[in-house]
Amino acid sequence: MKQILLITDGGSNVGESPVVAAAQAYAEGIVVNVAGVVDDGAIGEQGATEIAEIARAGGGMSRIVTSRQLSGTVQMMTRKTVAATVQQAVNHELRQLFGVESVAELPPAKRAEVVRVMEDIGETAELRVALLVDASASMRSKLPSVEEAIRDLALSLKAREGESMVAVFHFPGDATDEPCVMDSDWTHGTDRLRMLTGKLKMRGTTPTGPALLHVLEFFRETCGNIMIEPVQTPSPIKRDDSVEVRSDYVV
Amino acid sequence: MTTSSESRLPPGTVLRGKWNGKSYTLRRLLGVGSNGQVYLAASGRSICAVKIGQDPAELQAEANVLASLDKRERGRSPFLLDVDDAVAGERVLPFYAMQYVPGMPVKTYIRRYGEEWVGVIGYRLLKRLSELHAAGWVFGDLKSDNILVGQYGRVSLVDYGGTTAMGRGVRQFTELYDRGFWSAGSRTAEPSYDWFAVAMLWIHVLDGKRLVQLSRTLLPQNRHPRELMTLVRTNRLLKPLESWLERALAGGFRDTEEACEAWRLLQQPQQRQAGNKSGVPGWMAGLFAVSLILFVSVTAYWLLR
Repeated sequence: MKQILLITDGGSNVGESPVVAAAQAYAEGIVVNVAGVVDDGAIGEQGATEIAEIARAGGGMSRIVTSRQLSGTVQMMTRKTVAATVQQAVNHELRQLFGVESVAELPPAKRAEVVRVMEDIGETAELRVALLVDASASMRSKLPSVEEAIRDLALSLKAREGESMVAVFHFPGDATDEPCVMDSDWTHGTDRLRMLTGKLKMRGTTPTGPALLHVLEFFRETCGNIMIEPVQTPSPIKRDDSVEVRSDYVV
Repeated sequence: MTTSSESRLPPGTVLRGKWNGKSYTLRRLLGVGSNGQVYLAASGRSICAVKIGQDPAELQAEANVLASLDKRERGRSPFLLDVDDAVAGERVLPFYAMQYVPGMPVKTYIRRYGEEWVGVIGYRLLKRLSELHAAGWVFGDLKSDNILVGQYGRVSLVDYGGTTAMGRGVRQFTELYDRGFWSAGSRTAEPSYDWFAVAMLWIHVLDGKRLVQLSRTLLPQNRHPRELMTLVRTNRLLKPLESWLERALAGGFRDTEEACEAWRLLQQPQQRQAGNKSGVPGWMAGLFAVSLILFVSVTAYWLLR
């Protein structure tokens, strides 16, 4: 299972469209989730629309949160995406085997069995999450929270039974023709996770689209053949817009 | 998915299960969880709690935990009563019915009835956890709100949304109680994960204000159990629990039964008195004085006879 998690605070302004880039990633079997971080309460309408659009194109979900909520949100999205990916695959099988559209159509006793299998798959499947962090000038004050969220996510993933890897990228890169920079290659757990601090160039551009394509290329190089999603339904990810959770984290 | 808080069902709503055919009349909302709402409901003459969610798979996963606990712990009344879907107009509402547990969160109970209940509640809680652990589960999202205390300190765990099979990643947790948050270990479901949360529970219940303050002001890299222990040592109510809390935060018990036994020993009167200045409890000194007087008077009587 492959995911890209984009953390940003607003609109892109150079290069390819991030929406198209996300759609391409999803076509190659990588789900794109987006966390919009806004502390002063002002995210332009344009920025908000783009964030939602990227996630929709990428088959994932989006949330706009404050830096305090970031850690919990990042983990919730990662977990829900894993569950949704498993559910899609299982629904596909159910259609083939029993002619029912989804788990929800099974009687409770059968559903219990199927859900047990789904949980096993979700817990044991190999998972790779590439984090792509917008490090443009306006994000500066939020970066400590971003780093904490990444470390916290890595900690949670480490507890999974299946192999879980995390990679970290930030954009824009150092040179004008470099859309983004890798901070940390695929790593398991938190020990060798390298962070963004001190590596930032405060350039004015926000090349979200090119950066997404760069990460997609990285997936192609490191994960071999990317499987094509067998699912026909265009947007099967369940969208959950509830902001209030009683437990801080659902992982 | 719709927000769980935006579509509350009014009291009197009847849910009729489409698979098993039982109906439930909702009485009032008991609480809103991360993935659904819990109502007090009546089915025929009996009372139960009904959890209504949006995602049937997620709800079923929770029901599976309850069912497996019921299977392991025969001899008590079952937690899980029914799993079904109700049709409400266009929408299908997946739900499950479970045993209704009256009571109040630990924090509320202690505030109302006093700190002298800490011992009993803590002991019952650890006993309950040791049963759960023996059955292969870790509770996970342990916190004041998820531990209901009934009459005379009887403890029930509610909301099994965080309950995780041993060895897996904890499914759901609360930052303040999470050992990962305090850089004290992994989020792997193992008994020590729950012990840590139990220690946090007592710090939260007995010194909540300072704990919340500490969690907000400490930089992430400085979050550490030793900061928690500093807080423990400077609180009158937590100080007597120091040795137990320190072990729990460090995961230093052999198993949950040992944690339970250590807690019980802590509550014995002579242990508690050990914190006093003299080290000799009043009643013992009194007894000694009485026996001395008896001895002297008996000796005097014997000599003067």
